[in-house]
Amino acid sequence: MGTIVLVSGSPSATARPGIVVTHTETALRAAGHTVTTVRVRDLPTVALLAEDHRDPRIGAALAAVQAADGLVVISPVYRAAYSGLVKSLLDLLPSGALAGTAVLPLATGGTQGHLVALDFVLRPLLFAMGATRVLPGHFVPDRMITPEDEGGVETGTILPLAAAALTDVLISFTDSLRRPRTTHTTATLTG
Amino acid sequence: MKRTLAVVSAGLSVPSSTRLLADRLTTATVEALRERGVEVSVEVVELREHARDLADNLVTGFPNEALRHSVDTVTGADALIAVTPVFAASYSGLFKTFFDVLDKDALTAKPTLLGATAGTARHSLVLEHAMRPLFAYLRAVVAPTAVFAASEDWGGDEALADRVRRAGTDLADLVAARPPATRPDPFADPVPFETLLHGA
Repeated sequence: MGTIVLVSGSPSATARPGIVVTHTETALRAAGHTVTTVRVRDLPTVALLAEDHRDPRIGAALAAVQAADGLVVISPVYRAAYSGLVKSLLDLLPSGALAGTAVLPLATGGTQGHLVALDFVLRPLLFAMGATRVLPGHFVPDRMITPEDEGGVETGTILPLAAAALTDVLISFTDSLRRPRTTHTTATLTG
Repeated sequence: MKRTLAVVSAGLSVPSSTRLLADRLTTATVEALRERGVEVSVEVVELREHARDLADNLVTGFPNEALRHSVDTVTGADALIAVTPVFAASYSGLFKTFFDVLDKDALTAKPTLLGATAGTARHSLVLEHAMRPLFAYLRAVVAPTAVFAASEDWGGDEALADRVRRAGTDLADLVAARPPATRPDPFADPVPFETLLHGA
């Protein structure tokens, strides 16, 4: 059982990516993992956007990400890319911070057409950050998510077919946690 | 008619190489426009100063007065120069957040010049792989020349100066070939008071 950090780029408590976050938290906890969710919108955004590492809440969020066995990055697709909010937190991680961490990118978007943002924008970002174990990732179209406003709580439903697909993705993600982290050896390649 | 040029810089430090590149691109564009007989006024938007406003916009869904002014400046401008520092082979989160909150039609058909700054030349293709797709999605008319400046390019490097000049010429050609932008007048088409009273 591992420690998993979810980075949520959901813009508001009841938005669709927030429902994917809740669903993912519940499923991973049920499987026995320790789950911490970093809701980027709840961080002191001025310090975040101005890249102020000294802020204690931002420091705690970054430490949690770096200590995790697995990381799930959940972003809405805005302007055919990850949201600026998600990017602003990832910008603060030191280079190589994600080496060896299993990383699962998840995205939500208005139409199936936004699916490509996952492979063309979000995964390349994670690779550029030095992540070595990025899973294929998964896209949940907005129409598969039904938000319900219950006093600002992230509740809502993912339609059964989409929920089942997400569960499959989470199972392969947790399977990948069981594999040991890649360790660097000093062995040299010989002919 | 005098044109307007909006300059968006996402530099964080003071002084910032991002702002420096933005200023060089601005000077080159203004000169190239003057050669074409076009007078232009420049308005600079420093995104660093809008960190709180952008944060508020994400929560409330609309820009406050300070951010509204910058959003209107960019939306109503005849041309845009947008410059970001490079983080993780892409634009910064601050830069992206501004274009996330900007109306998706705000840049349609707007002549736009792109720039990026970084410590090394390693990520110079960020212009082609991250910046251009973003502005293509927003349907901006992006100048063929975009400018990347690494730390080593500063300090009398002629190659950078040439590229900046070429970029300014590209943008000036795009602006000069177009009629002046029409700025939306918020008072042109008011909702009748009677309709407001009916709660429509």
